[in-house]
Amino acid sequence: MTPEPPGPLESEPERLLDGLDPEDLDGHTIEELGDYLDDGREPRDPGIEDSPGCQIALDALVRLRAESWAMLEVEALADRDRDQSWIQNVIANISRESRPGRDIPVRHPDPATRLHITEGAVRGLVRAAGDGTQGSLVGRVELAGDVTVPAQPITVTVTASVPFGPNLVVLAQLVRERIVEALRTHTELNVIAVNVAIENVHAPGTAKDGR
Amino acid sequence: MRAGNPLNDAPDGILAARAADGDTRAFEALMNRHGSLMRVYAAKILGSTAEADDVVQDVFIQAWRQLDRLADPTAVRSWLMRMVGNRSIERIRRRKDLVNIDDWDAPVASHETPERIVEIRLQMGELAAVVAGLPAGQRQCWVLRELGGISYADIAEELDVPISTVRGQLARARRRIIQEMEAWR
Repeated sequence: MTPEPPGPLESEPERLLDGLDPEDLDGHTIEELGDYLDDGREPRDPGIEDSPGCQIALDALVRLRAESWAMLEVEALADRDRDQSWIQNVIANISRESRPGRDIPVRHPDPATRLHITEGAVRGLVRAAGDGTQGSLVGRVELAGDVTVPAQPITVTVTASVPFGPNLVVLAQLVRERIVEALRTHTELNVIAVNVAIENVHAPGTAKDGR
Repeated sequence: MRAGNPLNDAPDGILAARAADGDTRAFEALMNRHGSLMRVYAAKILGSTAEADDVVQDVFIQAWRQLDRLADPTAVRSWLMRMVGNRSIERIRRRKDLVNIDDWDAPVASHETPERIVEIRLQMGELAAVVAGLPAGQRQCWVLRELGGISYADIAEELDVPISTVRGQLARARRRIIQEMEAWR
């Protein structure tokens, strides 16, 4: 008299999709059900929600949606082993289109000589100074103020991502000091403020989820 | 292979912001991270991996020029995917000039041969094979809507067909996929 374990067929004898025609879906169409799903099943439609045929079809549509994206990610994973030399082609292509930005004058003893460094180079300098401060990474660098005129007051604002762990205030201060120091050493900008906005805290190796 | 560049671990938003400032190494890290997903997405729309390579490269070159206009750098992945969708459609439209519109829905318009579909089924799984076996018009509408999240109206505009056609193609694609995915019934 041992009770038989319920097999999958016994537990769900009704869940067979006969078809996806309106007669199988209590008069509804697959198109309608797709729209209903897109709207987040709101407002609730009793005609759909109470129809067994529609429920099975909706389940299948939901599953299709989830598996579709998973399919793409699995294929992308396999694609990663492929030759990635195209990346270097793109780099070669875009390197000719650098972003110099504004020209920042640098004094020279000979009045006939004009020197300048580009805003793009200064941004690179700021990034290099801030990067690696206990694992921090600089994001955007903004130079506010007229950098093309000597001695004009300039405010530098950077965004940053920092590793989880260290005290954020101390770390931001450290990043700030490094940037101030680098700008003082390598430029003649009259920097009146350096603002560091920490936008992200990452655990090393898992920081990719910035979305 | 990916070791050495600390940017490989940086969040998308940081990479996109740096790239907008002209940092090619950050841009390289973005390509490394998202290039494969973009390529398989393009290949699904186009039905061709060779063309997908061109699309992805074109998109990244375009992205480099336009990154400073991206309002929210953390949304860079969906921005890139969106561009892949648009670029792929452009190519299809160019092709369509050569193809009779009546052929659009014909099953023979599918890029993959039956042998190739068996192969995909073994390699990639059933869903990928079923998608590859859809007529071109159904496949494009389905991929753009389901994977790209693009609205009916935008798909219709891009493909230059009425919205009702897009809705019909999408419904037929979903129907056919569900019917062919025997395990789901």
